[in-house]
Amino acid sequence: MKLQHHLGGIENLGPVDFQKRVFVAPWEERIFGIHVAMMGLSNHLASALPKYPISEVPTRFESFWTWGHLRTGAEAMNPFDYFKFRYYEKWLGGISGFFVEEGYVTEEELDAKTAEYLADGNVDEAPLPKGGSPAIDSQVIRYLLEGDSPKREVPDKPRFKVGDKVTIKDVPPEAHTRCPGHLRGRAGVISEVYEGAYAYFFSTGPDGIGEPMPCYSVAFEPAEIWGPKLSDQKSTFYADLFEVYIEAA
Amino acid sequence: MSDKKRFSYDTDREIYSAAKVRALEALLIEKGVISDKTVDKVLDFFETKMGPFNGARIVARAWVDPEFKKRLLKDATTAIAELDLPAGMAGAEGEHIKVAENRPGVHNVIICTLCSCYPWPTLGLPPYWFKDPTFRARMAREPRAVLKEFGVDLDPSVEIKLWDSSAQIRWMVLPERPAGTDNMSEAELAALLTPEAMMGVAKVAA
Repeated sequence: MKLQHHLGGIENLGPVDFQKRVFVAPWEERIFGIHVAMMGLSNHLASALPKYPISEVPTRFESFWTWGHLRTGAEAMNPFDYFKFRYYEKWLGGISGFFVEEGYVTEEELDAKTAEYLADGNVDEAPLPKGGSPAIDSQVIRYLLEGDSPKREVPDKPRFKVGDKVTIKDVPPEAHTRCPGHLRGRAGVISEVYEGAYAYFFSTGPDGIGEPMPCYSVAFEPAEIWGPKLSDQKSTFYADLFEVYIEAA
Repeated sequence: MSDKKRFSYDTDREIYSAAKVRALEALLIEKGVISDKTVDKVLDFFETKMGPFNGARIVARAWVDPEFKKRLLKDATTAIAELDLPAGMAGAEGEHIKVAENRPGVHNVIICTLCSCYPWPTLGLPPYWFKDPTFRARMAREPRAVLKEFGVDLDPSVEIKLWDSSAQIRWMVLPERPAGTDNMSEAELAALLTPEAMMGVAKVAA
């Protein structure tokens, strides 16, 4: 069991820091931009919707990189570290680790370059090298404009209809899931059947998503999830769920 | 790993992260993975093209045009495409958007308990509180208490609807139009909106 899959409802966390900024340190913007570039240059975009001419883009990036990969990394963290580090600190750890593991940079290069910038002092303003084709940037911006739709038209009919009583499966724990822990084993009612079918970036194995399948909005009574004592009775919890996570009650 | 090591923070944690990300970006440029302008262009795109200013215009239009509002609630992606907004409203993280309408007696809140799913084209990038595990954990179970901490003190009779984006829809909230705004133009109405109001953790003040 991964704590990251079971965040919903944890007690004793104290007040939320109502920090409205997107980035709380200037460096955080840079790792965000690198992640977007990786998504916009990912090799899977050649067969995405729309199909991007990714093999013609003059980048050395040749990997498959999506939200699914970033999330898998976050879900693989030591759960105490997950709470300890800020959002973009986790991104920096995961993404720099990826570039080392995939052989784009070595750990020694990264450490040496980091030391150079540290010695330089004024890190956020320190100059970057020049280079790279504008065609790389055009592809990344095109990805932002046109997206990577997971929606597919498939002939399979949805198994459930609005009003059906369902139970959420406790699918086997895998490296990555889109089935929130607090809903597993809980009973709900289908409140909307989304049109079409939705793929996920890759197969999550026995967890079950990947190939296009119907998706639903499922409504849960809070007492069903948290028990009557700990829940807000005058509320409804709606979760968007892939069909593989749902079974007839 | 000992607990002592696990919970010890580098005193120079920020400067180290700043240097490391700078080093990574420099190496990626040198090795031809990205260009020297890629990151700046991405950031500029979110400053100028994809941001909460788009969501504000969508909400303001829904307030002044009941027919548009109906279409927005039925099929947000198609309705949003009617408006004169920057290109890319169905782009990354906005491919499939749905809008939940606040009305007397019903208050909607968007959450993402598994990560930080957010409708980029209409709301831009999510604020830190939305990405914070504490918010994600607590809003799921005790929405009324968290809303009160955020300054939204709902009457006990108001039903809260929570929308957890665990699949492929990205959600935003259509807040209630504040009283005393009958004479305002659509642009003036749009200026009243905040990301928080379009996420359901703030009311719109006139």
